[in-house]
Amino acid sequence: METRFEKIDGTSAQYYLALSVLAALAVAGFACTLWVSQQGLWRTGMNNRVPWGVQIVMAIYYIGLSAGSLVISGLYGVFGKVEYKPFARIAVYAAMLLLIAGLLSIATDQGRIDRFFVQPFVHLNPRSLFSINPALYVGYILICMVYLWALLTERSWLAPGLATLALAWAVGVHSGTGAIFGFNARMLYESPLLPASFVVAAMASGTALMIVLIVALFKLTKRHVDDDLVLWLGRFLRACLLVVLYFMVAENAFRLYVVQGREAGLYYLFEGFHSTVFWGGLIFLGCCVPLLILFNRRTGGSVRWVVFASVLVIGGVLCERYVIVLPGLTYSPDLFPGMQVVGLRSQEGITSYSISVVEVFQVLGVLGTIGFLFLWGLKAFRLMPTEARIDRPQANFGRGFSGQAAR
Amino acid sequence: MDRRDFLKTAGGGLLLGGSCAYAFRLLTASGTATPATAAASKRRWGMLIDLNKCRPDCTVCLEACREENNVAHHTDERWDVHWIRKVALHDTSGRPGVDKRVLLLCNHCDEPPCAQVCPVQATYKRDDGIVIVDPHRCIGCRYCMIACPYDARVFDFKESDDWPNKDLPKRSHGVAEACTLCAHRLDRSEKPACVEACDKINVGALLVGDLNDPDSEISRVISSNSVKRIREDLGTKPKVCYIGL
Repeated sequence: METRFEKIDGTSAQYYLALSVLAALAVAGFACTLWVSQQGLWRTGMNNRVPWGVQIVMAIYYIGLSAGSLVISGLYGVFGKVEYKPFARIAVYAAMLLLIAGLLSIATDQGRIDRFFVQPFVHLNPRSLFSINPALYVGYILICMVYLWALLTERSWLAPGLATLALAWAVGVHSGTGAIFGFNARMLYESPLLPASFVVAAMASGTALMIVLIVALFKLTKRHVDDDLVLWLGRFLRACLLVVLYFMVAENAFRLYVVQGREAGLYYLFEGFHSTVFWGGLIFLGCCVPLLILFNRRTGGSVRWVVFASVLVIGGVLCERYVIVLPGLTYSPDLFPGMQVVGLRSQEGITSYSISVVEVFQVLGVLGTIGFLFLWGLKAFRLMPTEARIDRPQANFGRGFSGQAAR
Repeated sequence: MDRRDFLKTAGGGLLLGGSCAYAFRLLTASGTATPATAAASKRRWGMLIDLNKCRPDCTVCLEACREENNVAHHTDERWDVHWIRKVALHDTSGRPGVDKRVLLLCNHCDEPPCAQVCPVQATYKRDDGIVIVDPHRCIGCRYCMIACPYDARVFDFKESDDWPNKDLPKRSHGVAEACTLCAHRLDRSEKPACVEACDKINVGALLVGDLNDPDSEISRVISSNSVKRIREDLGTKPKVCYIGL
């Protein structure tokens, strides 16, 4: 059965209300960024010991969500699972917007935003991951655009090639993002596992996001989606979560086992606000509870429970991004191993970071921008399928659902 | 081949060729160097700090640096900018006589991670070994601060009205900075401000000189003393060394 795609009506009051709210958030965020760019970054919660904060956390989070969302369209384009063709277009569109959100988060975090749009192009440093990665990001957005164009113009013969390219490029994007932190001499950053760990957490968060997005969109627009399509994604999600947990165990086991990293490892796991985020947000709520839900026969077979588990995973991976960035900065740099450094005139030792109101608005502003673009896109382009059903052989009496008489 | 095909091929070829040329230019562009003389490029500036001479409660070098280089002072320590700072070390294992005061500043590494990660090559190593930031180019991404294992780099979070030395510009907010080893003074054959201030009070704990010259004072002191550098194991090849660390 051929899938038909159409634009949504986009005339309801809820639609316009949603657009208005998102636009308002975008404007508020833009205003905050403008204010910070004039006043200085001291208006945020960052300081000389913690020069990166929640905007960078959100940037890498969005980038992760983007690559993960692309996996869903890859199910159709790369692995030939035609039952996922209905979701391919929204997945690619979402992936594109999420990466734009990542770039927006980075752009609004710069000390000199005016120079950010000129200098990196004129004086690119090919040895810097901050030059290599934006090239990967922009390339990724372009590939998504071409892929979406191919899908929108029904050039399905291009889909396998473009989907494969997009997926391979996404692995590169992710590994590069992980390397920003992993290829670094800081105690709680340095890790060759981080690029791979990033990819798996991206897959988990992206899959979870698509589950929530698909169920929400189809419900709100009163379109039918087969339960089995969502449930299969739930099974895929639980496999991703197991791999995420494995990487968490591997990284922390290394730090605790090797004497050199033990003190830092203990700080990471048991001291500070971030350890609550790690255990409560990532391990318990982000991995264990969703795994219990998804592996349980009853809850794992219920779309509502799978959506709930997915929401937890979306939050959990955000927590994972937070504990990648912040503990490495709040922990004291290991200048004199075995010695305690006490500042006489400046901050030394373990420090802290707290999110400022301004940063919250900046984050909401980016969310508002891509949310607005996503909703507008649903009305502007033929992204939504009329329905999402799994075609089953007509001779199969038991599970047929299409209503046609068996022949 | 008809006209349409020819135009398509030519256009595609032009685009491809242009992109390759641009990529080639970018990839072969090296970090900018100062217009240093040929003689200067053979020099390798380094610093020696004698902690045995350094007085524990003295701060003349810290103040001299601020005055000379317009290093902004903010009362809130979170945003206070400092190119050189003094810290106290306590031995956590309780060994006696190990507690000491240490001066920390940019190590002007020969393999600077900050220059490697700067996306716009605003941070670069000069031919004479000084690692310096171009404050007109810096976009304020703070990646250099993340990359520096010595926590030596600072960021201008806040604008400051302090401008004690009108001969030099002051930085706007939004850029990263670090000790320049008073490159502007070295280029005039003068001592850095911190060294001069320490010499003025007859302590002489700081010494800056040419590490490539075996007859320079710094080379002679290093060769006749046991000197240490901070975290040499990281492979950054820091050029600030310490006696008595």
